[in-house]
Amino acid sequence: MATLTLDALNKRYPNGNAALLGIDLSVEDGEMIVIVGPSGCGKSTLLRCLAGLETISEGELKIDGERVNEREPAERDIAMVFQNYALYPHMSVAENMAYALKNRGVPKPAREAKVRETARVLGLEALLDRRPRQLSGGQRQRVAMGRAIVREPKVFLFDEPLSNLDAALRVQMRLEIRRLQKRLGTTAIYVTHDQVEAMTLADRLVVMNAGRVEQIGTPMTLYQRPATRFVAGFIGSPAMNFLPLEQGAAGWRLPGGACLELEGFEGRPSSLGVRPEHLRESDAETALFDVRVELIEPLGADTLAYCRLDGTATPLVVRLDGARQLDEGERLRLDAGIDRLHLFDAEGRRLERRSLDHGRAPLLPLSASL
Amino acid sequence: MTTFQRHRFTPWLLLAPQLVVIAVFFFWPASQALYQSLYVQDPFGLSATFAGLDNFIQVLVDPEYRRALGVTVVFSASVALLALSVALLLAVLADRVVKGARGYRTLLVWPYAVAPAVAGVLWMFLFDPTLGVLSAMLGTLGVDWNHRLDGGQALALVIIASVWKQVSYNFVFFLAGLQAIPKSLLEAAAIDAAGPWKRFWTITFPLLSPTTFFLLVMNTTYAFFDTFGTIDATTGGGPGGATRTLIYKVFEDGFVGYDLGASAAQSVILMLLVGALTLVQFRYIERKVHY
Ligand SMILES: Nc1ncnc2c1ncn2[C@@H]1O[C@H](COP(=O)(O)OP(=O)(O)OP(=O)(O)O)[C@@H](O)[C@H]1O
Ligand SMILES: [Mg+2]
Repeated sequence: MATLTLDALNKRYPNGNAALLGIDLSVEDGEMIVIVGPSGCGKSTLLRCLAGLETISEGELKIDGERVNEREPAERDIAMVFQNYALYPHMSVAENMAYALKNRGVPKPAREAKVRETARVLGLEALLDRRPRQLSGGQRQRVAMGRAIVREPKVFLFDEPLSNLDAALRVQMRLEIRRLQKRLGTTAIYVTHDQVEAMTLADRLVVMNAGRVEQIGTPMTLYQRPATRFVAGFIGSPAMNFLPLEQGAAGWRLPGGACLELEGFEGRPSSLGVRPEHLRESDAETALFDVRVELIEPLGADTLAYCRLDGTATPLVVRLDGARQLDEGERLRLDAGIDRLHLFDAEGRRLERRSLDHGRAPLLPLSASL
Repeated sequence: MTTFQRHRFTPWLLLAPQLVVIAVFFFWPASQALYQSLYVQDPFGLSATFAGLDNFIQVLVDPEYRRALGVTVVFSASVALLALSVALLLAVLADRVVKGARGYRTLLVWPYAVAPAVAGVLWMFLFDPTLGVLSAMLGTLGVDWNHRLDGGQALALVIIASVWKQVSYNFVFFLAGLQAIPKSLLEAAAIDAAGPWKRFWTITFPLLSPTTFFLLVMNTTYAFFDTFGTIDATTGGGPGGATRTLIYKVFEDGFVGYDLGASAAQSVILMLLVGALTLVQFRYIERKVHY
């Protein structure tokens, strides 16, 4: 049970590499924060700074309002689940789980009771006497969780804890982690590469890029109103389509010739974003995109069609109903609802519609004019 | 299966060089020793009479032999223990060094390349009662160092020289062992509230145990057999047999005293002794090793 405050956190590695550049984040008690971002953006570095495994170069880290920058890892009362689990290979499952309690001077009977209780919750009772190498990957993961839970720490840190598991097990453990975290009400920070994990686990999602925070918000906020082009491209799978916009006589021109009349936006748009799942086939004369199908990926429920805008090399990905029979080389007309279009300026910042409150969209797709 | 059967002789062919070396340099001398231990040779080596176990009995009742056994036990235990702990300490320190680690490690490995006799002479000069730098320093501290007269000091000197020689070897293995321990384990332990001291004894040391065990066996063997050169160059077994270990006595009796039968009998006993010791180590200590 704890709040966590990061105030302009900076981390420079001894080799001069600046891995974190002014991270601000404030985590509520019992909240589950998920951090996503491309490889090398500083996610692990951030967790390691929180855990005390790396020193913080600048800025302040507070747990429950108390500055903990200078505290040893042991004094921060934080538990961490590592990607490779980091189970002590020479100790049994029970010893692994009891290790932290033992170091904190919890007397043996209390220790054993706690380990047994935690093992029961995680379904590890039958494995207590085994060594880590006698366990399957999923069981190891569970033990690593158990080792974190048994301590009842103030904060859980997870660094891609499920990335070594197969898909089915990942789904199962994901649900279990969420259930446990809710039940224990422990503040948690969870790093992942996995879109689904990020969307389903997070109370709030943090998208990082090159040592900076791009956006913080609920998963749905980030999905529906990404603050930057980077976030828009990072959240959602397959990624959002981006199309360059050029100012023409009749409004803003898309590659392929379609024109848009864009009004009520602050700033100067430079690209248009639309998610593959928001594109619909349409017969209307006013349809935005004329495309040629190049490649089809049937996923069962859906079919992904990799297309190019007619007469250009601009790619466009569409997610269509799995029942729709498609042929490569086929032509499609696609459209998207006005409120499904995202506009970004040249710096990649989202452009909001000024008249959003009025309920009526001023953005009108015009006829495709070549 | 069939593939292996078709190549019945290939494995032997591949092993042959190794087997020849072992046969020529180990089994043949060992069988010679065994053969000689059962005979009494005349002083000129012209004839030999079968003596049964007489040589062994003669050796075992000899008080000098028992004294040498005692010296060997003290010497070997000290050498193995000191060489292991000093090397472990250096390896732990070297493992933490970030800057110039390579140079530091190379320097620590060098003594291994020094010949035992040279190492012995080096330490003999350092501790020379009249010329030695270290003995002079000890003198200012009030220690009257003269290993030519004082048996205990002489033993200490050969132990130091032998340890110095073996530390490099152990260091290389310990360092490799330390670097094979995943950093995340120590980090997990740090988060689990274990201080550096506790981390070392509950995580690092147990995980090093295969290395430690291997080195224990190697160092015992080293102390028993390979320290001959060092002892010979430093003290020559003296004063008054204070540094005469079993292997040194084998040499003295055989090549100085020309009692080849007794010397051979001692060799055989020494071989059995080390064999038994290694067996005990494998049976009892290896159980505590976590692979
Ligand atoms: N010990 C170190 N010394 C110097 N630079 C480092 C060190 N560790 C990481 N870095 C650098 O810091 C940056 C952030 O690394 P970090 O491991 O935090 O990335 P990450 O977001 O966790 O990536 P991934 O998703 O691949 O795990 C990278 O550019 C990396 O090269
Ligand atoms: Mg990482």
